[in-house]
Amino acid sequence: MKKPQGADLVIPALALGFAVYFFVSIADLAWEAKANGMVIGAILVGLIAIQLVRIGIGLAKGQASLGFSPLWEPREALGKRVGMVAVTIAFIATLNWLGLTLGLALALFAALWIMGARGKTLAIVPLAVALAAYLLFVALLQSDIPHGPIERLLS
Amino acid sequence: MTWEFLLGQFAAQFGLWWIILPAILLGIVVGILPGFSPQNTLIMLLPLTLAVPVEQAMAFMISLYCANHLAGGIPAILVKIPGSGGAAATTLDGYPMTQKGQAQQALVLCFTASVFGGLITTFATIALLPWLSQIGLYLRSVEMVVVMLFGLTLIAVIAGKDPVKALIAGFFGLLIGVIGTDHIYNTPRATFGFLELYDGVPLVPALIGLFAISEALVMIEEKMIVDQAGRERAMRARWADTLEGLRLSLQKWWHIVWTSFVGLFIGITPGAGASIAAFVAYQQSRLWSKHPERYGTGIPEGVIAPEAANNGVTSGTLVPTLALGVPGGSTAAVMMIVLQYHGMVMGPRLFATNPEVAYGVFVSMAVAYIFMLFTILPLARYMSRVVLIETTYLAPVIVLVTIVAAFGERQYLFDMGLALVFGVIGYIAHKTNYHVTAILIGILLGPLFEQYLVRALRISQGDLTVLFSSTLGNILWGLLVLSLVLPLWRNYRQRRNQAVE
Repeated sequence: MKKPQGADLVIPALALGFAVYFFVSIADLAWEAKANGMVIGAILVGLIAIQLVRIGIGLAKGQASLGFSPLWEPREALGKRVGMVAVTIAFIATLNWLGLTLGLALALFAALWIMGARGKTLAIVPLAVALAAYLLFVALLQSDIPHGPIERLLS
Repeated sequence: MTWEFLLGQFAAQFGLWWIILPAILLGIVVGILPGFSPQNTLIMLLPLTLAVPVEQAMAFMISLYCANHLAGGIPAILVKIPGSGGAAATTLDGYPMTQKGQAQQALVLCFTASVFGGLITTFATIALLPWLSQIGLYLRSVEMVVVMLFGLTLIAVIAGKDPVKALIAGFFGLLIGVIGTDHIYNTPRATFGFLELYDGVPLVPALIGLFAISEALVMIEEKMIVDQAGRERAMRARWADTLEGLRLSLQKWWHIVWTSFVGLFIGITPGAGASIAAFVAYQQSRLWSKHPERYGTGIPEGVIAPEAANNGVTSGTLVPTLALGVPGGSTAAVMMIVLQYHGMVMGPRLFATNPEVAYGVFVSMAVAYIFMLFTILPLARYMSRVVLIETTYLAPVIVLVTIVAAFGERQYLFDMGLALVFGVIGYIAHKTNYHVTAILIGILLGPLFEQYLVRALRISQGDLTVLFSSTLGNILWGLLVLSLVLPLWRNYRQRRNQAVE
């Protein structure tokens, strides 16, 4: 069976894209500002070239394919994984309106539901974690985390 | 300084137990959470520390600081989430021990290495303070370039079966570490137009993303983070496992001693911190080990080395602060503010004019470590039960709580998004065997390496030979070359012996 190595190209592709952007962004700077980045970037590009050659040899010999399956296997966990990332994005995006306590409780409820939790724990865990977060971040440490209806009600 | 004075100091500090114990508790809670550094916590509590007498304020701050350093290893061992940069190296062997069902032993190793590492270096500091304070003067930018390279060689050391992938990950991290304004002209580099990146990539979101979020996204593939055998072992956790951890610690006492001194010497240097100390100690521990191939599979030395070193840093950081008036780190800077507010003049005179404060700080540290041993060691048995929580509950709590913690360091919503981006990068790296620790080492050490290198080159007006211009620097270069050549020579000899057999 051919080894799926397309996934192995994602990190080098990200690194290469970033290195190119880095080189462009420092093109006009003084040598002190770009010397270190130039050296690191050049070595990184060299290493990526070696990795591309290695994968190319595997493809030419018929031992590898450009499959991306390692990134989403096992398939049954893919939905949970994507769901968790989506819930996290929604949590960050709505934090300014919902505040820490309500936002965290709702996000945890949604994430636990996606993960397959049901019954009493689906309500108890989000409430307990949100309460603990309120006590630590808002009441004790008084951090500047966005306040919402719950924080305003309790203040 | 006489024995009577020292004993009097110890008696006075033990009398402050009512301050030390709550500080330890708060330090542990804050240390477990990535994102809440001791300096942030101390800044938030400044109204309290400025209001009480200086001895009490210092006992509180020192105890919180030491407990914070110790506690960072707890989540690193249990769920592969380092509570701070200093505990990142602990994940390399701590988490594999947990996966093998040895979480309790790993926690005990972490606690004993931290406490005894901290105690040994504190006593050494008290005894050798006048000489230790001089070390910071000899370690200049040239020497620090080589110290940073010691840490960076760990990227090659942890490479394992695929050095190209590890090096790509390491250099990717190094390049990410260069993001932000440069050290001479303050011109922004590769910031994607975000003002939030002008100070460089913040460590906490990177740490949370690469370790906590990526690990949580991977752990949902299994019902629990330990296999069936590990689960059964964790369910049978007894006090005997705590004793087993203590026995392992005693067996490796010399390892605790010498790696804690690595932390002490690195801590003395202003700017260098627990992260570099822990990585250098791990790298050196592996280098001089008779079985380096077992590192990364969950062995006691891999937990002891980084933990003893990052607690050795605690006393080292305070040496330049008190003896020279140069804060050894950001937490030490906050302590200096409190000392100065109370009218203390930093520098050599402090030891003559206020010896009870100057030496009292280190005595307070020793007392805090002694209290910590008795308060936290019995908890290892109960903490290790975390591995029995199903990933259905563990993964969402880890992702969302650590995302909130990412906000803690700089109080930017941007950092929460950044942590998620690093989480996705970490997940891809994890699934395709690009070492996330190598990326983190790059992000951690990249800016420090650049800072020292550019400073050295600036002084020499671009002349690279400056890097070989000092005796101490050249000795360090020699040791670095030895560090790189020794494993190769050892491998060659091993292969030759196998061929002969």
